Amino acid sequence: MSHEHNTEEMVELYEGDQSKLYSGVLNHHKDIHSQESKTQVKRIVRIMIYLAIVTSLEVTLGLWDHHMEVFNKGILNAIFLIMTLLKAYLIVDVFMHLGNEIRNFIMAILIPLLFLVWAIIAFAGDGHHWLHMNNTRANTIEMKAEQPK
Amino acid sequence: MAQATTAITNPSDAKSLKWGGGHSPFNLSYGKIMMWFFLVTDAFTFGAFLISYGSKRFFTNVWPDPNLVFSGAPLMGHTPLPLVFVSIMTFILILSSVTMVMAVHAGHYMDRAKVTKWLIFTIIGGILFLSCQTWEWTELHGEGGWWGSFVDPTNVSLASLQHFFKPSVAASMTLAQATEATTSFFNFFFTITGFHGMHVFSGVCLLSVALINTVNGTYERRGHYEMIEKIGLYWHFVDLVWVFVFTCFYLI
Repeated sequence: MSHEHNTEEMVELYEGDQSKLYSGVLNHHKDIHSQESKTQVKRIVRIMIYLAIVTSLEVTLGLWDHHMEVFNKGILNAIFLIMTLLKAYLIVDVFMHLGNEIRNFIMAILIPLLFLVWAIIAFAGDGHHWLHMNNTRANTIEMKAEQPK
Repeated sequence: MAQATTAITNPSDAKSLKWGGGHSPFNLSYGKIMMWFFLVTDAFTFGAFLISYGSKRFFTNVWPDPNLVFSGAPLMGHTPLPLVFVSIMTFILILSSVTMVMAVHAGHYMDRAKVTKWLIFTIIGGILFLSCQTWEWTELHGEGGWWGSFVDPTNVSLASLQHFFKPSVAASMTLAQATEATTSFFNFFFTITGFHGMHVFSGVCLLSVALINTVNGTYERRGHYEMIEKIGLYWHFVDLVWVFVFTCFYLI
């Protein structure tokens, strides 16, 4: 029916052994004591150390701020967010191997997540606006209601 | 024709090659793609939770200080130790993520013994984390925090809530502001960490199944350890969510 594909092989490819659809990572490794393997393990350990350092920095900054209160809260929160995103990047890129996937797949995963960026801005702005209304306009209405007719 | 039947074996070829049909366009197996898509949807669920928490915070005049709410640590009595216990929890989860990626790595080399070893470490990490969370929940429940606690201003005194707030905030807030903020804080805390804890628990269950299969040689007979990779993706995602929960609840 299909002129494009060899149908018998297709069935084997899609319904049979899924390992044929791998990026080849699984099939090419033989020796766990090889240099390639050791390099990968070293990379994992390096990322673990980065994650530990960033977390320790976060905790240090948090404790410092708690005891001394020397920081501008807004700037400190921005630093915390940047550190969080850095940790997220390290986990997704190396531990989840997303960095090793093909570009189309990386985009298929990351672009939908941009929706969250919009949501954060929209809802934070909304919360801020509601607070403003509660603290100002709601009081005005109350005052008007209390006015004698 | 020729291209249609040739699966890409070298990942670097795949990056430059235009997809001509006949093989997975993402050069990944169905199972792994679906796990990624599931994780994207799960990221939206957690994102919605954390964003609603954030917008509620923007909407309130006062908010409890996490360093004063989470100030305990096991075996330390009443010594105020903010951030100490939760950093231990964070390190446990990061370490279990590392042992997980080591299990995936061993799976690439079909090394059954090493996969077994690293999976056991990962499961221990997950159970340790859950135990820590149980302690934390019990501690907060002991202080009166739970879903819907402190909701009624007629039953709660301002004095009973002041220790959750910074002294400067506590001095000037009204009872209505304090109950609203404290109730919301605990509702969000228990919902979000509960939902995350449920994920960790499911992860431990999945890892246990994978461990049994590994020991039984199921994956060895199958010819690959892809199941370990898929569960690994899930486990790293759980770690990733904790990174954000840690920042949102304990740091900011």
